[in-house]
Parts: sequence; C-alpha cells; structure tokens
Amino acid sequence: MTASISSQFNPNIIHFPKDGEPFLAANEWQVWNGERDEGGIPDLEHGAHKVLVPFHWWITHHKNADIIERANKGEIGVWFAADEDILKHADLIEVGKKVWPIVAAHFPIFRDGRSFSTAALLRDRLDWRSEIRAIGDVLIDQLLQGARVGFDSFELRPDQNLELGLNQFNLFTVTTQNSWRSKRSLLNTENA
Amino acid sequence: MYKYDAIDQTLIDERVTQFRDQVERRLNGTLAEEEFRPLRLQNGLYHQRYAYLLRVAIPYGLLSAKQLRTLALIAEKYDRGYGHFTTRQNIQYNWVNLEETPDILAELAKVEMHAIQTSGNCIRNITSDAFAGVAADEYVDPRPVCELLRQWSTLHPEFAHLPRKFKFAINGAKEDRTILLCHDVGIELKKDATGQLLANLYAGGGMGRTPILGSLIKQDLPWHLLPSYLTALLRVYNRFGRRDNLYKARIKILVKALGPEEFARQVEGEWAHIANGDDNFTQTEWDRVAKHFTKPAYKTLHSITTEQLIASTPQADQVAFARWHERNVRAHQVPGYASVILSLKHHGIAPGDATTAQMHAIANLADQFSFGELRVTHEQNLVLADVEQTQLFALWEEAKKQKIALPNIGLLTDIIACPGGDFCSLANAKSLPIAKAIQERFDDLDYLHDLGDISLNISGCINSCGHHHVGNIGVLGVDKDGEEWYQITLGGEQGNDAAIGKVIGPSFYADEIPNVMTSIINTYVGGRSEDESFIETYRRLGVTPFKEAAYKNARAKAAKQDASGALSS
Repeated sequence: MTASISSQFNPNIIHFPKDGEPFLAANEWQVWNGERDEGGIPDLEHGAHKVLVPFHWWITHHKNADIIERANKGEIGVWFAADEDILKHADLIEVGKKVWPIVAAHFPIFRDGRSFSTAALLRDRLDWRSEIRAIGDVLIDQLLQGARVGFDSFELRPDQNLELGLNQFNLFTVTTQNSWRSKRSLLNTENA
Repeated sequence: MYKYDAIDQTLIDERVTQFRDQVERRLNGTLAEEEFRPLRLQNGLYHQRYAYLLRVAIPYGLLSAKQLRTLALIAEKYDRGYGHFTTRQNIQYNWVNLEETPDILAELAKVEMHAIQTSGNCIRNITSDAFAGVAADEYVDPRPVCELLRQWSTLHPEFAHLPRKFKFAINGAKEDRTILLCHDVGIELKKDATGQLLANLYAGGGMGRTPILGSLIKQDLPWHLLPSYLTALLRVYNRFGRRDNLYKARIKILVKALGPEEFARQVEGEWAHIANGDDNFTQTEWDRVAKHFTKPAYKTLHSITTEQLIASTPQADQVAFARWHERNVRAHQVPGYASVILSLKHHGIAPGDATTAQMHAIANLADQFSFGELRVTHEQNLVLADVEQTQLFALWEEAKKQKIALPNIGLLTDIIACPGGDFCSLANAKSLPIAKAIQERFDDLDYLHDLGDISLNISGCINSCGHHHVGNIGVLGVDKDGEEWYQITLGGEQGNDAAIGKVIGPSFYADEIPNVMTSIINTYVGGRSEDESFIETYRRLGVTPFKEAAYKNARAKAAKQDASGALSS
C-alpha cells in the first residue's frame, strides 16, 4: 500500500549550501506527519525511500529494529515541530548526528519565526553540520532569513515560484549583523 | 549626526528593490494579501480605513533639515500636504497609494531614511531621548548605542517573525524622557567610576491591553555585550512567547507568566553560551559610529540668565516671550545655548501634524538656528537642540509665523494623541475630535499656564498608541454596541516616577468629555496647595474627589439614556 504521508509534497527543492550558490534539485525526502503510525512509517509514494519523521516519534521508536535498519541505510531524518524545545534533547540530537543525513524544522505558518531560532541553535549550539531543511508553510519571502539563520535547503509550499525563489538570495549584498552564513559586512578600510 | 556609509546605503537601496518586487507581485496577484501583509508591515505600510498609511522611521528622533525637506516633499507629492509625527519618533502619511510606496521609499533612501521595521512583529524603530547629546542632566550620550543597535536590528534574520512587535527605548540621562519602563526592553545607560559604559536592562514593560512597567533583569552589562545579551533575550522570547493569542503575545506576558527572576535566569542561561562569541560590538565599531555624534561647532559664549534675556527683548513682547521661554525652552550642556521645543499642538490642529509648508519652514529654522538638525519628541513635538540664547527671540518671532510657538509644552493642551478612528482601522473611537474639543474648551493661555504641568494622553483603542496609560489624565476610546465611548484614567505618569493610570469608572459619551475635563481640572484647582502640580494633588487627595466631580453631571445623562433604552452600558 502506498499512502500520501504529508499534506504537501514539492518534487523540487532549493538547495543553498553554505559556501555555494543556490540551485534547484529533486526532492528525495518525504515528510511524514506522524499520523497512522500503528504499522510504523507508511509506504512512500513513487517508490521513494527517504523520509523525515517527527522528532517526537523518533524519540519513542528509534529503538525498533526496522527503524534502526532503515536509519542505518540513511533513509531516515527527523523534523522538529515549531514548538519543539530542541535544547532539552541535545543528547539525542548528538547521537542523531551519526544517523540522520538531514534534519528539518517546520513552519506551521509563514509568519511563525520559531524555527528560525531552532535552526540557529542547531548550528551554533548543537554544532549540526549537515543539511537543515525548512518545511511547511515556506514562502519565497522567508528564504533569505532562513538561509541566514542556518537553513541550507527549502521545500517550498508547492504554489511558490521556485525561479523567483532562487532570485531572493541575491537581493542583498550587505548585512549589518552576523549570521550563520556570513559576518557583518565591513568596509574595505575596516578590514585593514 | 550619523552619516550612512556605503554598507548602510546599499542595504536600504536594496531594501527598496526588494519591496518594489513584493509590491509588484501583490499588484499582479501572485502574492496574496494575507501573505503580503507582514511584508508591507515590516516596511511601515498599513492598510487603513480609506487608504494606505506609510510610517517612516526617524531613528532615535534625530533628523536633518535636508531629511525634513524630503519629508515635506513626500507629503506634497504623495500625500495631502501634511505628515503626522507619532509617539514613537516616526512620521506617518495617511493617504498613500500602494503603487507609489516603492517610489516614496526610494526618495527616502536618497536622504538616508527608510521605513524598515516601523511595524510588524519585529524589532521596531529604536527610540531615545529627544535631548540626547545636549541635555544638561545627561550621564551618557545614548546615540552611538542607539545607532549601533539600529544597525544590529535592521533585517535581523532570526527575529523577523517574533510573536509580536518589539520596542526598544534607550535613555542616558538622569530624567527619563523615553517612557523607558513602558517598552519591551528599556536600556538605561550610565558610566561607572572608571568610565566604563554600562547598561541596565528592563524587560516586559508595555502599554496596550495589559499595561505593565518593565522589570530590571540585568544590571551593569558592559555596552559591547549588548548584541549577545539581546540575542539571548529575544531568542527566549521568540521561542517561548505565546503565539496562540494575539493579545497575550507581547514579551510582557511571558515575563509576567515566568516572573522576572525566572525570565532573567532563562536569558542568562542562553547568554552563557554566546556571551563570548563574536556577535558583540567591537571598539572599531564604536569608533566608526560614535565619531558622528561629536558636538557641533559651538561658539564660546557666556550663559545668559532668563531675566537678562527677557529684559533684552522689546517691552511689549516680554510677557509672551517669557511664557514661551518658560514652557518651550530647555537648559543645555553648553554655556550660551538652549534647546527649543516647537509645539505641534496648535489648538484645533491634530496633535503632531505638520504641513508641507511648516516642514519647509522648520527645516529653514534648523539651518538658521541649530546646525541644520532637529529632533522629534515622543510627545509629538519638534526640538531645535542647539540654539544660541541670544537667538531665541528671533527664533520665537519666526516660529510664531508658522504657528509652532504656542507656549503649551507640558500643559493640558500639549495633548498626545494617536490618529484614532478618523484614520486608523484598529481604532474603536476617534481621538482627534476629542483632542480638539478639549483644546477649544481650554483655549485660555493664562489659565493653562496657571494650571501648570498636566499630561493628557488620548488613545483611540487599547493598543495605546496615544500612551493614555501614562498620561496624568488618560482618555481611551472604547466601542460599546457600535457607539464611541471614552474611558478616563487618572494618575499615570512618565519619567522617573512612571506610573500606570487607574480607570475611574464607566465610560463617557464623546460630548461629555469637555465637561468631565473641566470637573477634573476644577477639582485640582480647588484642592491644590500652593505650588502643587496636578499629579501631586492627585496623589495626595486620591481618586475619590476627582471621580465624584467627573460623574456628578455625567451620571444623570447616562441614566436618561438608559431609561430611553437607546444605549446600554
């Protein structure tokens, strides 16, 4: 049986590596919202294998044999809900570094900025170095902020124009505060 | 005053380009109104009853004559020939077209101005003492810290979508002229014995539905650690502030729920990880910014006493000039200089409004008398900060021609008022006709002068833009079954003895307000002992006599209306 495991799936994502240029890529990761979990993770659409599971579901299921097996194959990542206090689970996330190829932080609505702090903490405090993806109600006008706090991939809401999205990252050539991606801009004279 | 460097200029130019694209997408329908809303708000653009309103930042209240001319030009070209100076050192235009806003922002960018973060759930325009750098009671000039934090907070990515708006005020003087304790974060600057610049931080103050004075959560923070400490504070708020209820989303609710000690503990916990990071300000940064806040080229002058000054003016003008000097002129740090408050509270004009012609004239006065600079006060007046005492009379004569010389600063008719229901779609009731009716009732300058210091603040709704909670007399517009009613508070105060006013009882109908004011004022006049101010008398007598007087005649009216069934309370 195949099931739709998330209310939305965008077949393409924007990747924006920290020291690279943004580009479009096929979306390999389906987000599972954690529902209908009696039989574990439901089958994925289109024969896909990689799934982002809710972090709170991971906490209770990560010792199951089948989950361990899939995780060992690099097929499982986790996503953090906007109200997840990740600092309470620093130990689990530390272990997760060896298991999850990717984590994600969720935007229940575009104007909810909690996941910006989640991403910043994952980078600064928990030293998460792999991919962090923005999922949920992700619109092109949030990309710039997301990219600066620590996200390096974005599954936009399917109605968003990805080409316009790619252009967002070039809008500003200067910044006036440090962020994960770059330091505050300095005039040449100040670098001397 | 601060001059943009290439980075600042590039940033606001690019912000205009970004907003132009957002407006274009809104106009061609690819961006839904719901999703455009936070974007336009973060650029100061509200959708009001009849038109768009654009709120432009005047960071910490500092303005050049050149900038004021641009503001005048915008009023003329894009609005209806006037602007409204707000209670948070911004200027608002009430009649703006969406299509033209990118062009307005481009005009502003040419004179180093913007509308960034003047609204929305983000760090708002940072306000400070309108007399910064010149006040006789100043410990520390707060402007370099204001500017450093302006830059730090501008387009801060992590705090772009906070639970609710977030307002900073910064004060460096003995007297608080910023309503510091009514801000989400109030920063009090001082120097220790060794000359090190330190900050005390008060969090969780605010007006609105739940007026609370801020609590001291951090003492003696070295100035350069402000970015990391504020990051910690805002991060705690961003993560744990309520988002389920608009009315409980301000930081004051979080601070109150946790208690100030626990809130401070959580901030410290977060800060411990980042206090030594590279987000803090450096001496190089300080030098880059602070060099712009040097003193202007003051002449070496002797101080003139008020008596000497008045004696030097024509006999026929002495009484009027002396009155203006008493109310509208402030002491200066430098001998022979004074600061002048230009009143935007001419009776019958909406408080804080200035026409294009007035703005041009005021810009000329700034050039002629005050090194080409001026300041905006949160009481919605303008200040020429550096006027030679010997020029005060000439300035007064010019100001009179522009109707900005009314000697009513700090008096009953120096009313603070929001635009209210005439413009604002949030308002429950109109503010401006109430202000006008009160100014008309108390139009006798001799009497106003005799009454002395009284602050009267009017808000058209509980959002409290008119700061009614901290007025000695506060008036709040409330909606009752579609009718506009007004609730009165007494005992509010700004300054070092900041206090939140107390509601005296049921609301009044609009046309009762002038009579209610007369009753309250008469109670003060009847009850005051010699030199007591209104607030001192109020504190001594308590609310009862004021309340009894206010309701003495109004009650009958309310009863009559109730009997007719036309209104319910």
